[in-house]
Amino acid sequence: MNNATRSVVIVGGGTAGWITAGRIAAQHKTNSADGIRVTLVESPNIPIIGVGEGTWPTMRNTLIKLGISETDFMRECDASFKQGAKFAKWVDGSEKDFYYHPLMLPQGFGKTNLIPYWQKYRTNKLDNKSFSDAVCFQEAVCEQGLAPKMITTPEFDSVANYAYHLNAGKFATFLQKHCCEKLGVTHILADVVSINSADNGDIASVNTAQAGTITGDLFIDCTGFSSLLLGQHLQVPFIACDDVLFIDTALAVQIPYESEDAPIASHTISTAQEAGWIWDIGLIHRRGVGHVYSSRHTSEEQALQKLREYVGPAFEKISVRKIFIQSGHRQLFWKNNCVAVGLSAGFLEPLEASALVLVELSASMIAEQLPACREVMDITAKRFNETFRYRWARIIDFLKLHYILSKRTDNAFWIDNRDPTTIPESLQELMNLWRYQSPGDHDFTSNNEVFPAASYQYVLYGMGFETDTQYSQHLMNEETTSAEQFSKNQKNIANALRSLPSNRDLLNKIREYGLQAI
Amino acid sequence: MPAFVALNNQAHKYLKIDSSKIEAQGAHERMVPVVLSEFLKLVVHYPIVLTKNAETGRFVCMALLGFEQQENLFWQNNQWQGIYTPLNILRQPFFIGQENENTIICIDSESPCMSKTEGELLFTEQGEDTEFLRNVKTMLAELIHGETQTLIFIQTLLELKLLMPMSLDITFANQQEQRVQGLYTIDEEKLNALNSEAISALHKKNYLQPIYTMLASLGQIYALIQKKNERIANV
Repeated sequence: MNNATRSVVIVGGGTAGWITAGRIAAQHKTNSADGIRVTLVESPNIPIIGVGEGTWPTMRNTLIKLGISETDFMRECDASFKQGAKFAKWVDGSEKDFYYHPLMLPQGFGKTNLIPYWQKYRTNKLDNKSFSDAVCFQEAVCEQGLAPKMITTPEFDSVANYAYHLNAGKFATFLQKHCCEKLGVTHILADVVSINSADNGDIASVNTAQAGTITGDLFIDCTGFSSLLLGQHLQVPFIACDDVLFIDTALAVQIPYESEDAPIASHTISTAQEAGWIWDIGLIHRRGVGHVYSSRHTSEEQALQKLREYVGPAFEKISVRKIFIQSGHRQLFWKNNCVAVGLSAGFLEPLEASALVLVELSASMIAEQLPACREVMDITAKRFNETFRYRWARIIDFLKLHYILSKRTDNAFWIDNRDPTTIPESLQELMNLWRYQSPGDHDFTSNNEVFPAASYQYVLYGMGFETDTQYSQHLMNEETTSAEQFSKNQKNIANALRSLPSNRDLLNKIREYGLQAI
Repeated sequence: MPAFVALNNQAHKYLKIDSSKIEAQGAHERMVPVVLSEFLKLVVHYPIVLTKNAETGRFVCMALLGFEQQENLFWQNNQWQGIYTPLNILRQPFFIGQENENTIICIDSESPCMSKTEGELLFTEQGEDTEFLRNVKTMLAELIHGETQTLIFIQTLLELKLLMPMSLDITFANQQEQRVQGLYTIDEEKLNALNSEAISALHKKNYLQPIYTMLASLGQIYALIQKKNERIANV
């Protein structure tokens, strides 16, 4: 049993399927004679779910690895820029209640810890800036509706770090074309009707209704929520985490812009509601808006009403799509010669856009560590499972953090969220520690971290968390350096506001002139 | 603010252009757009580089005239110091305009080159073009043709990935340091790595000559630094 891995079969063709196909094909020279064969089998009858219109900055690297031009991608996937997220009404629900989780590190991060000084200035009423505004220029850029770069900035380069908002349906089609035409991926339109096992429990092949039997050395399950190969066939159980994250339903709508030159927000807007929150994502031709809520804490009618209030008059003309969310993931992601990527592996509520980044991380690990032969595959599988169990747990912690720091009392949803029995122990431990010291890289030492310490800082201090520095006064000797860093940030804000174009302007220009590769 | 009006042998019959003031129009240009057909003449003085149009992000070929904003080191003692002046300076104050898809010649009616008393007439008593205007039209024709040619040339360079950013870190004689960014040039390594088919294709399009002219013209950056040092010394 020493079969070389020569052929990879991906079942399912949403963004998960095509990103994984593309990463493996690009890495393993599928378009050359001695490369590894990559086949993607996709049902002609099952529509893609198309979750995840928000990405992380990692997507830029993924596109580079696939050999895609940023101009082509942005034009064909209705993509726009995303410079982080604005969280409104999460703390007390008032109109002035908001904070940012930008995509750039705090000024001087790693050199000077600005938190104690920022806290001190605030307490002494010397400065009333929010944490994200005091240490990062990106909040000002977002508040002014500016783009993260200029038309003269090369593809994938940035002035301010950025990710994308995109049309997931168009993205899947775009990737399909690229994977098939440029990367040598074989595309088969057929319904998988049954699965044939080998003696060792591996998947030997899949039988399809239209294209006969398809064999492979490694099978990748991208079949969405149905988890056809890993969940149904290999019987890997699903581990729900709805005891930590309560959201279980989404009501999604698409809203056209009021006019052709309406501003496009260059960040995701997340506005807390009585039993959940509303996302608001600006693409080039429309906004994607949706209310995710806990059906244990509110009714569909009430949730719909909240969405109607948020959207305004345009709401009456549009159709609402309801999606059930089962928060959780498979107990294993890789079993035998089958690995799940995307919804088949698991799903968490869309806060912080973790769906596509998990696909990218999975595809990247599979492509880069593809086991050379069956003999060593179990070692890779074990490693993959450990890595992703860790990553899912960290994401769950980070999402929960947004809820436990809220002071809202308007619905049991918020009160229940702060109940210690619903907070993972790992997060409780960190919260305890952070009462006396701010989050730093020492808190996140694995090679497999998803959210860096900076992200925790933005959420914690954005939501009014206080770190008590009474026992560390002897460390407060960086007054001058910290003042320099704060003023450096102010200078960066002024520079950015002077030089960056509006987000809408730049997106229009990219459509007209394109970005240069260099 | 320039105000473009269409040139017309009635309205502009007695208009004169003071040719001694033409080159002064470029006195504060750090760069001037150039076309392929000028390269061999430009290389006598100027570094030929590429830069991006700030509005479109697209590449344009430029003759570099200075390092700082609005610095033209070829403009000294109220004169253009050089035996060849780029066409885009010499054709002032005339422009190419569009009217109902036709190309027309426009003139900047605010230009200080315009005069009622001094300079060259544009039209004869009979309303025909003077030799001066015929010469202007020749230049404009070379520019309009050259812009298309140059665009295709740049497109070819981009397709072959032959461009690279060039960052100049210069220390002048007085120890003043200056970083010049936003300039691009030919990537010699990539040029040398092209296979013979690609080279042959460039040769057939007559592109090898302008490519090597651009590379050779970079030596003029030293001459430009020299000019700057002289200017600093004379202040």
